[in-house]
Amino acid sequence: MKPFDCEMESEVLAAVLQDRWPARVDASLREHVAACAICADVVLIAGAIDEAREEMRARAVVPDSGRVWWLAQMRARREAAQAAGRPITAVQVIALACAMGLLGACFGATSAWFQSALRSGAASLGAIRFQALLPFAAAFVAQHGALFLGMAAILLVVPAAVYLTLLRE
Amino acid sequence: MFHETAFTDVRCDRALDDASAGFLMDEETFRAFYERTARGLWAYLARLTGDRQLAEDLLQETFYRFLRAAATYENETHRRNSLYRIATNLARDVRRRSLARAAAIPTGDDIERVPSGADAGATERTADVTRAMSRLKPRERAMLWLAYAEGASHQEIAQVLGLSPTSLKPLLFRARRKLADLLGRAPRGGKP
Repeated sequence: MKPFDCEMESEVLAAVLQDRWPARVDASLREHVAACAICADVVLIAGAIDEAREEMRARAVVPDSGRVWWLAQMRARREAAQAAGRPITAVQVIALACAMGLLGACFGATSAWFQSALRSGAASLGAIRFQALLPFAAAFVAQHGALFLGMAAILLVVPAAVYLTLLRE
Repeated sequence: MFHETAFTDVRCDRALDDASAGFLMDEETFRAFYERTARGLWAYLARLTGDRQLAEDLLQETFYRFLRAAATYENETHRRNSLYRIATNLARDVRRRSLARAAAIPTGDDIERVPSGADAGATERTADVTRAMSRLKPRERAMLWLAYAEGASHQEIAQVLGLSPTSLKPLLFRARRKLADLLGRAPRGGKP
């Protein structure tokens, strides 16, 4: 099996990162690096990357630690307030729904017009013989099958497309 | 182990405090930790993203998420690993979003730009490294930077990148060879 690392690799890396390579290391280590492709790559790459790191760190302009702390605090508080506000909104929605339901029940119980309309609606619904309508419905669907399929596809595809568009945005 | 880890380990197990917006770390500890890690983390993010401004934004986001994580850490290395893991995930998310929007991925040109008066030789070598690294995959860039700029162990790199330590070795080996080729390694014989 092809070796992926060398037992001397960490020693070579330490020498490069501690600026001991090549002058302040044992001759045996230098000889090893001259013969080992893995360690030679480590010397090349670690040296190049370490130099790039030092230069980048020197050029780095990072925000002040106090400012980062203050901004983080502000943001955490804002998010905490938003999170605390969310259950209140949900409770408000539920309360509104309950109030509407209660109002509807009161209206239904007290309005004579509503009660008579409800009674006549129930009576006419009971008079309809749904079983007798089934053959007509089946014939209609068989005749306009493509239309039904198209409508079903639209009903499925349009919400999915809207969802995906909103998700991308 | 990462560079600059030689200081006292402080466990961040303070009680939740309204004054610190629910962070487990107090301001003094945070500022000391920030001073030790921010520049190195910025360099890592700049290398991953190739964009200085984006690196700064991600730096702030990383520290914010680190504070909000409200985790306790066994030691400085553990804490630093968590920080780099958050940063890596954020950079990965930004890249995915850029790809989804088909936006241009920075090529590293931005971090090649240097202020006047900089050491020309060192700058040229850094530019070579930047150009070579921009041709690697983001995960290869991350693992090489962690290994050779931050001096992280295989175990730590695997932890930060969410890889198994056994799969890291061949990946790191291939990334190293690729970068050595791009940097123009001198042709050589020898093992292996």
